[in-house]
Amino acid sequence: MTSVKKRLIFTLLFNEDRFMLSRNFRLQQVGDIGWLEKNYNFRETALSIDELVILNVERNRESSERFRFHTQRLNDDCFVPIAAGGGVRSVDDARALLRSGADKVVINSILDSDPMSVEELASEFGSQCLVASVDAKRVDGVIRPFVENGSRLVDATLGEYLTRIANLPIGELYLNSMDRDGTGQGYDLELLDCLPDGLQVPVILAGGAGKPEHFSAALSDPRVDAVATAHLFNFVGNALELSRQRLLNDGMNLAKWNSQHLKRLASIL
Amino acid sequence: MSDAVVVIDYGMGNLFSVESALRYLGAEVTLSADPEVVESARQVILPGVGSFRLAMERLTARHLDEAIQRFVTRGDQLLGICLGMQLLGTASSEDGETAGLGIIPNRVDRFDDLLGVKVPHVGFNSITPSTASGLFANLPLSPDFYFVHSYRLAVNGMTSPHATCEYGETFLAAFDVGNVRGTQFHPEKSQSNGLQVLQNFLAA
Repeated sequence: MTSVKKRLIFTLLFNEDRFMLSRNFRLQQVGDIGWLEKNYNFRETALSIDELVILNVERNRESSERFRFHTQRLNDDCFVPIAAGGGVRSVDDARALLRSGADKVVINSILDSDPMSVEELASEFGSQCLVASVDAKRVDGVIRPFVENGSRLVDATLGEYLTRIANLPIGELYLNSMDRDGTGQGYDLELLDCLPDGLQVPVILAGGAGKPEHFSAALSDPRVDAVATAHLFNFVGNALELSRQRLLNDGMNLAKWNSQHLKRLASIL
Repeated sequence: MSDAVVVIDYGMGNLFSVESALRYLGAEVTLSADPEVVESARQVILPGVGSFRLAMERLTARHLDEAIQRFVTRGDQLLGICLGMQLLGTASSEDGETAGLGIIPNRVDRFDDLLGVKVPHVGFNSITPSTASGLFANLPLSPDFYFVHSYRLAVNGMTSPHATCEYGETFLAAFDVGNVRGTQFHPEKSQSNGLQVLQNFLAA
């Protein structure tokens, strides 16, 4: 086997101490960390994912300390890699997240506005540490990239923008459909047609997952290395666990582990 | 002597996950960069993410290299994780040739660009352990673990218990040699399989 396994990723959106639902980039507050742990039973969800992404969607810079606190806290709830981001502009921003338990840093707006900073981040932490997040939606029938939490249109087509980003030292591409975000209608596979030829980094597809078939349809595409869902309610209870099991039963190349075994290992010494 | 597992905190990578995984298993954990604390422990973990050269410089500057050598010679239990495993080898070609701790006779080199695989090797991949006991006890067949690295230890005909992984070539994914163990993968980020490996270390 010369390739790694495909991945199922859960994304949490953080705003003013609450975790959020997003639909077409409009946010709705759901619950705080206590809710996530107790009522939502996040620990259970964490047993069915390959990776956790946590994004601070609050624009207030003073939120970063609270965000780091939450990143640190979520580390106790899951034994998978964590990528964190939202408003990362500098080496100091990234270092603060990495020191709070993140393994990778998600960057978005600086990909467009400040490619030099991306170079600096890569030389400090390595390109494998950088997840390039790109939000896209259709404008007059053409797929276009947006930055600044989806509020500013980039002066390029998605294809042109992705070609530019592919030349930056990034480790992964997180491609998110604003049109499908929170709709549960399925992933926007047309975004994949905008990927540059010979792209060297793994592609994470996000936006629109509503049922297990959506994961399956996207992961079956050879251009997709991972799928992400940020919807707190489309896969509640053991729905992610069942989705994962179903993907494995269908022969999808996902990592295998035993969640019951992990629970049994708790404090048995 | 303390019963706590000492995780060496020398500024190379985040230690939260290692700490929280050990606590989940019920272990008492001390983070320390003090050679005396390291030397007086019964179980030590050498973690690490980043550059081999920088890591060796930091260990040497704090006399942690000598503390680890004495600790290992005394027969107590050591686990190196990721870069921490590589540092137990003889040398690495990362950032120019740098000598390692030389506890195992294997060297560290970058995945060859000619292999046709993406470097770094990032994500879950399966390993093949040579035995089902010791560090590899109670694992499923071909267990999956999370890796993130560009350099790897050569297998070098190792006959002691070890595990290999395939990524363009066969490299050393883990070893279990006497009182010294290493994992190229991150057990703290590998769900039940990783926690089982940590549990096997703690039970040693």
